[in-house]
Amino acid sequence: MNRRKFLAFLGSSGVVSALASVRVAEAAPHVFPYNENSFGVLHDTTRCIGCRRCEAACQAVNNLPMPEKPFTDLEVTNERRRVTAKAWTVVNKYEVNGQPFFRKLQCFHCNDPACAAACFTKCYTKLPDGAVVYDGSQCVGCRYCMVACPFNVPGFQYNLAWDPLVLKCTFCEPLLKQGKLPACVSACPVDAITFGRRSDLIRVARRRFDDHPGKYMNYIYGEHDAGGTAWMVLAPAAGANPGPVDNPDTASKEFKQLGLDTHLGNQPMAELTYGALGAVPMIVAFWPVLFGGAYAITKRREAIAKASVEEAAKSAKDDITAAMDAAIRKIEETEGQAAADRARRAMTEALKARESQDRQGEAHNG
Amino acid sequence: MRKGKSLLSLAAMVAAAVVCLLYQGAARADTLEPTDSGAPSAIVIFPVGEKPNPAAAGMAPVAYNHVIHEKWMNRTGKECMVCHHTGDPVACTECHTVEGKAEGKFYTLQQVMHTPKVRQRKENTPSSCVSCHKEQTKQRDCAGCHTQLVQTRDDDPNWCRVCHTITPSMTRAQMQKGIANTLSARQNEVLATETALARKPVSYWSPLMAPYKVSIDSLKGQYEAALFNHRHHAFSLADRISTNRLAGAFHTSQGTMCVTCHHNSPASTTPPKCLNCHSADLKRMSPGRPALMAAFHLQCMNCHKDMKVGRPRSTDCATCHKIAPTAARTTQGE
Repeated sequence: MNRRKFLAFLGSSGVVSALASVRVAEAAPHVFPYNENSFGVLHDTTRCIGCRRCEAACQAVNNLPMPEKPFTDLEVTNERRRVTAKAWTVVNKYEVNGQPFFRKLQCFHCNDPACAAACFTKCYTKLPDGAVVYDGSQCVGCRYCMVACPFNVPGFQYNLAWDPLVLKCTFCEPLLKQGKLPACVSACPVDAITFGRRSDLIRVARRRFDDHPGKYMNYIYGEHDAGGTAWMVLAPAAGANPGPVDNPDTASKEFKQLGLDTHLGNQPMAELTYGALGAVPMIVAFWPVLFGGAYAITKRREAIAKASVEEAAKSAKDDITAAMDAAIRKIEETEGQAAADRARRAMTEALKARESQDRQGEAHNG
Repeated sequence: MRKGKSLLSLAAMVAAAVVCLLYQGAARADTLEPTDSGAPSAIVIFPVGEKPNPAAAGMAPVAYNHVIHEKWMNRTGKECMVCHHTGDPVACTECHTVEGKAEGKFYTLQQVMHTPKVRQRKENTPSSCVSCHKEQTKQRDCAGCHTQLVQTRDDDPNWCRVCHTITPSMTRAQMQKGIANTLSARQNEVLATETALARKPVSYWSPLMAPYKVSIDSLKGQYEAALFNHRHHAFSLADRISTNRLAGAFHTSQGTMCVTCHHNSPASTTPPKCLNCHSADLKRMSPGRPALMAAFHLQCMNCHKDMKVGRPRSTDCATCHKIAPTAARTTQGE
């Protein structure tokens, strides 16, 4: 196969696969429909005092290992810690416009979670009560969910050699089922994390903006970010202009200082991955056939072409030999044996010279 | 005895005469001190409008005390330009009327007085009454209450009357003239002075009427009860603003100092218990209302933060409530 053919094949197969993936994306848009009555939590960073009670409560309820430093050591909030498989929530200190504020990190429990979309063994489920839960029984440990998550939340059990799982905040789903509140919410001494129906929390947040003008940035992080999240964050204005309502660009500076990206867009992350990952089975099934077939066809064409060329060359050679024999026979009849021998030798040499010339030419061209 | 009686009556008459004289002297002294700038010591700002208004209908005019505002400006190094933003010391109503005028870019009188925040201008951003007064509440002595307080005019009939009040001796004819902007400057000043002098700061309820210390023990468990020194806190807050004339003018109720903490209920010397509205059980609370523990912590911590009270830090739990000896440390966070 020459290059032009290969590119032509690649192009046509690319179009085919693109069409196929578009069809897949249309077929499976939102796996998890938005539930109007789902729960959420509003995290008011102007209230958080960084006492780490939520961390301690999370550890106790979920039977997580004790951290190296005790929960009473508040100096660790100065580090930019991340949530891990051993600590599903952490509180860090951030400087917003020069003033210290604390923010609690945990799973945001997206309305349409990217981790669930990225998981090809369907370990993740968005429940109607708002929680994004993980069931490790099918997990193959590919950690696609960790890559897909825009908040770097899922943590991997790197310490386990056998059957490591991905662990993250469960929204205390077992407690919610019993009609109890998440452990961190119960433990918070200042109502910095407020539990409620997501729709109510958005109203509560807006009322806080109205009641305390100039205290908050005029933006609810997570109302629309990444397609909407169950956990939402309010940022302090800290002297800045609170800005117009719901403008992620004017609020981006303060949220960035809190370690939150306001440029994730309003589209669910999952929508970006459903199409591509929905096409994976199609690729696995069809691409070997498609490219194998294409390869076979070109190989066969090449073989046929080669055979016909060889045949033509052979017949041409046969023709020359026959003509040569006839000519020599004629010389033998008219000029005698010696002349015929001389002619045969001369012709054979001429033929050889031509063949070698042809071969050289072919080598040069090829 | 007769002699003594006449002496007594004589003494009484003399005393009466002295009182009368003193009162006359006092009445003569019942004028405001003159301003440095030579402007009237007080002026009445009428709702000036160009439309015919035979019934003299309109918002009650405001008696603006020029002297105390000028004094405050001298003290804080502000200039007349804060209000007289064009640099020309004319009356506000020359350009800003009820309907708005071209000279005032059709900013109405209501707008220029009540705008809560004036947009920054390239040259000399003026202040409205409300924007400047709001700015004052950010100072340390005021911030403790005023950053927590959610002020609404909806349920307060006296909200507007704090400023929009005028002496009852004003006649309808004067009001009509005022609206038409034809009232003489002399009469205007007389009305304003009378109103300004009638204004007396309210005396708050004494902290001695409240308990000395309050034991906050309904959440006892991991920590012992917090012993809150109510009297110290109330006295401290009142002392800090005792010389603040703005606070004196706007704190119009005896219970004003109580209603930031004892909020959402009428001011009273026997306020309802916090527990009435803030359940100790978080599950019983709607999201907009903190449960009891958070309600206490938010009020205490935010006020200490806003008034820049250095200690205790919000995370020094044992400063306010001792760790209960029976509570094991392992229960922390539960």
